Amino acid sequence: MLKSETSPKHIPESVVFDFDIYGDDRLTDDLHASYETLHRDAPDVFWTPRNGGHWMITRYEDIMDVVRDPEHFSVREMQIPRVEDPPLFIPLSLDPPDNIPYRQALMPFFAPKTVRAMEPKIRQFAIEMIEAVEKRGECDFVDDISSQFPVSVFMELMGMPLERLREFRTQADAFFESRSDEDIAANFGKIVAIMTELIETRRAEPKDDLISKMTQFEINGRPISLGELQSICSILFLGGMDTVTNVSSYLFRHLAGDAALQDRLSEEPEKIKDFIEEGLRSFGVVNTPRLVTKDFERFGVPFRQGDMVLCMLPLGGRDDRKTKDPNKFDIDREKIDHVTFSSGPHLCLGHTLARLEMRILTEEWLKRIPSFRLKPGTMAHSRVGTVMALEQLPLEWSV
Amino acid sequence: MKINYVTPAGEAVTVNAELGESLMEAAVRNGVDGIVAACGGCLSCATCHAYIDEPWLSKIDPQSQTEKDMLDYASHVEPDSRLTCQVPVTAELEGVIVRTPPSQD
Ligand code: HEM
Ligand code: FES
Repeated sequence: MLKSETSPKHIPESVVFDFDIYGDDRLTDDLHASYETLHRDAPDVFWTPRNGGHWMITRYEDIMDVVRDPEHFSVREMQIPRVEDPPLFIPLSLDPPDNIPYRQALMPFFAPKTVRAMEPKIRQFAIEMIEAVEKRGECDFVDDISSQFPVSVFMELMGMPLERLREFRTQADAFFESRSDEDIAANFGKIVAIMTELIETRRAEPKDDLISKMTQFEINGRPISLGELQSICSILFLGGMDTVTNVSSYLFRHLAGDAALQDRLSEEPEKIKDFIEEGLRSFGVVNTPRLVTKDFERFGVPFRQGDMVLCMLPLGGRDDRKTKDPNKFDIDREKIDHVTFSSGPHLCLGHTLARLEMRILTEEWLKRIPSFRLKPGTMAHSRVGTVMALEQLPLEWSV
Repeated sequence: MKINYVTPAGEAVTVNAELGESLMEAAVRNGVDGIVAACGGCLSCATCHAYIDEPWLSKIDPQSQTEKDMLDYASHVEPDSRLTCQVPVTAELEGVIVRTPPSQD
């Protein structure tokens, strides 16, 4: 059947393992733990014939090796299965040294200092959102909180006028909810259009915000083009929302089921930082693809130019060779190791911001809703693929 | 080659480093607290920041423009700050003291 017959000749039978990243029977409601069974059942590095055929890398050290080796594993193509005209996201789909001028131009806006300065605004967004549901005694955490919060933060970061919040949010919702290729393309087009309009406005009349500063970027001594700006804005939009939404949703699902942990964090809010870090380890949500650039051997398997490779970043956090009892959620670990933000030249640019967003959300939530639980009888279905998303999270509490 | 690190807690840690590896790599390989190195030496994170004492500081190659730019965004930067992923271990660094900042964020 599907197995070796459809695998290219260079793949040895012994490393073929049938796994469908877009919906595998092995994946259950406890998505991350069910994914972790691959460590037991599959070779560390294996080839699945599904989705055009691709490699999967499941161990922390091997993932580190791949994402830090752009010479053999390129970001030029990040689609599984491969597509005709892969989109260009700057800086994400440029290998070094091409990514460097952009990365450096963006860095100041994501540095710890800059991010710290955004804290009061971010806190205010979190408070408003939580207060809007507090008295109801229930909410769908995904719909009401975790998908809304990063949109406001993104707009603040970019310097988007708040009077367009509603319009932009509706558009962002439409995009993240679209499932067909046409809808995705159409809704993404609208997002880019909104940002293009803003780029043009700020080019004419700069203000003190990220978009204005971006229009003044110089890349290798020449001014940045509109196309480049659109590409950067797109990756900031795509990279900064769904990710924060999804990690927070899985994390709050865990917290909702652990009353003792809720009490502990309320009593010791200084532990919330470790709670977030352990959450990042336990609930990674991005699997990142690479394209093999030449024929060579690594991890005991033969890679051929043009093979696609998928780094299972969430599995890196659950690797028992790196973390003891990886399926246990423990905020008292001495060291928390994960690759949820990847590593190497494309290490998530927004990692400081993401950590801050989630810490503030948790702090403000627990101040207002210190005790809450999952609504009984609800399902916890996830969308899976290169990004993993919890579809809903109905919570309830006493008011 | 012995390299001496001082952790954020003020603890002195001496490790054996290989010639040619970076001060960051030697620290990470030996689990020294205070050097995070999230990007693994690609000059894209600035979380391998540390202070290098004299007389060793002057013996190291000066910063590249990229390292300077990145250091600008690190926290707790001082005149003797370097990104340790950019500093190779050489014979001249025998006995060097590398102090880590209070935090990398
Ligand atoms: C918990 C939340 C987040 C997670 C799990 C996450 C994860 C990731 C990962 C895994 C990558 C690298 C992919 C690779 O190596 O191929 C990445 C890149 C990136 N992320 Fe994030 N991210 C998060 C939040 C954010 C936020 C809040 C922003 C900013 C608004 C952001 C902006 C970016 C950008 C611009 C890149 C591309 C960096 C480059 O190519 O140099 N991310 N993110
Ligand atoms: S390790 Fe990232 S800049 Fe040095």
